[in-house]
Parts: sequence; structure tokens; C-alpha cells
Amino acid sequence: MRNVRRSIRILLLVIAGLYLHYTLPHHDVARVTGVSDRLERLSGIQRLFYNQVDMGAEEGDMRDLRLINTERVKTYLFGLLRSGKGVMVYRNEDTGVYPPYFKFDSSDLEAEAAALIGKEDQWVVITHYGWRIRWMSIYPNAVSISPVEGPEYRPFPWFNLFFFAFLIVGFFMARAMWRQFVERTVDPAVESFEDSYDEGKSRFQKWLDGWRRK
Amino acid sequence: MQFVRFAVFGLVILTVIYWAVSAYSRSVRREKLEEWWDELDAEGRAETDRESYVEDGMSAYDKSIRPKLILLVYVIPIIAVSVLIYVIN
Repeated sequence: MRNVRRSIRILLLVIAGLYLHYTLPHHDVARVTGVSDRLERLSGIQRLFYNQVDMGAEEGDMRDLRLINTERVKTYLFGLLRSGKGVMVYRNEDTGVYPPYFKFDSSDLEAEAAALIGKEDQWVVITHYGWRIRWMSIYPNAVSISPVEGPEYRPFPWFNLFFFAFLIVGFFMARAMWRQFVERTVDPAVESFEDSYDEGKSRFQKWLDGWRRK
Repeated sequence: MQFVRFAVFGLVILTVIYWAVSAYSRSVRREKLEEWWDELDAEGRAETDRESYVEDGMSAYDKSIRPKLILLVYVIPIIAVSVLIYVIN
């Protein structure tokens, strides 16, 4: 029983971790090599990952998919290790309100990216979320592009730092609130229920209880 | 439409959080007042009975700035979302 509970807990933690890894912003240092637009018909499983058509537009059977082609510095272990360069393709989609990036300016981002094509030594930080899953044609969604000095630039995940600090504070706050609720509301209610229950018992039952307790 | 749904849903969640935090804050204050009275009583300095001491303390708490600070539960996320929309777009 304890093993079952432990496995469920680990499974839930893994799912939460994967969810956060998918949704939280990551930063890549990259060089834009091109932008492309293509008409796609998304499958059911792709729809899980893709977001939506441009804000205000109607979702149809077919849709445009905007992509940004880049060459980026490869990173491992959440950006701690970096070595070599490789290609990366980002999709460029409005997020709307979920995941809560509130991005409605995909067209502007496409224009920004297009302006960088051909500038060989202009490196940029691409803030994105999501994963590249090649066998399902899933791309991370680029949220913003900002220029940096060169490929040695190391972005620092300030947002994620504050996010996790807030998450930990929130966890302890919720735990304190729950404990206070149990101590001040649930326990007294249970006690008073037990007291009133005891009052209803006969003398014989009380005597029996007294023996049971020993 | 998406925004309306988001705003309504967000306000409902924030209201639940606001309600829970203010209940928690009141409960902690009440517990402290009870402890203070017990201390006073142990020293033989309790002037009023326990119940009225606690009730007086609670009405003083209601008038203080602390319960109003819990309104930040609404203010902070609204500011955060506005800043995010401005920065991203």
C-alpha cells in the first residue's frame, strides 16, 4: 500500500515537472536564418501542443503555421552546459491567455525575425516555451526575440527564479493555512461531536469504554 | 471572448484565495488574542473576561490596516498580467 502511494506521488511529481518544463520560458542564444509560412492540417495529437490561430481569427480546417529557422548554441542540463551549434526551428503562434504569455503579436515577431535574416553575426536571445518533438512535427513557440552581443552571452532565468520562489512560498502558506483550519475548526468540531456522543451513552457503556481504553 | 472568460475565471479564483487568506489571518489573530489573555490571566492582570477581550481585539483588528492589505491578492496579479501584456507585445 505504501509503495502504491509512493509511486502515485512520484508519478504526479513527474507530470508536474514535465508540465512546468514545457510551459515555463527558456532562452536560446541563436541566429535567425529564415522564416517560413506554410499551410497545415493539424492532427488531434498535434492540437495538444499547438496553440491557436491569430487572435481574433476563426479556427478552420486548415491553418497557417509560421516558423522561424535558426542556428543556435546547443545547451544541456537547463542551459548549464553548452557546446557546439545546431539548427532549431521555432513556431510563432499567438498564445492568447493560455499558456499565460499573452502573446498576440505573432505577425510583429515574424517581421522582427525577417529583419534579422542575412545578418550573419547578429545573435539574439529567443525566449520560447515548449519542446521540439521531431517525429510529430512539434515546435517550441517563440515568444520574443532580443539582440545580444554574441554567442557567448549567457541568459539568466530570472522569471523562473521568481516563479519557483513564489511557488515555494505559496506551498508553505497553503500548508500553514490548512493546519490552522484543522487545528481551529475541524478538531474542535470533532471533539464537540465526540463529547455530545459520549453524553448520550449509558453508564454501562461508559464503564465499558473505560476498560477499552486500558 | 477569451479575455472575458479569463477575467471571470481569474476573479473567481482570486476571490477564493482572498476569502481563504482573510479567514486564515483572522483565525491566527484570534488564537494570539486568546494566548495573550491566558498570559494576562496567569499573571493575574486580566481586566475583562476572555470572550470580551478577544472580541475587542478582533474589532480592533478589523479596523487596522492588516485586513486591507489582503486586497493585494487582487491588486498584484492584475498588475502582473498588465505588465506581462505590455512587455510581451
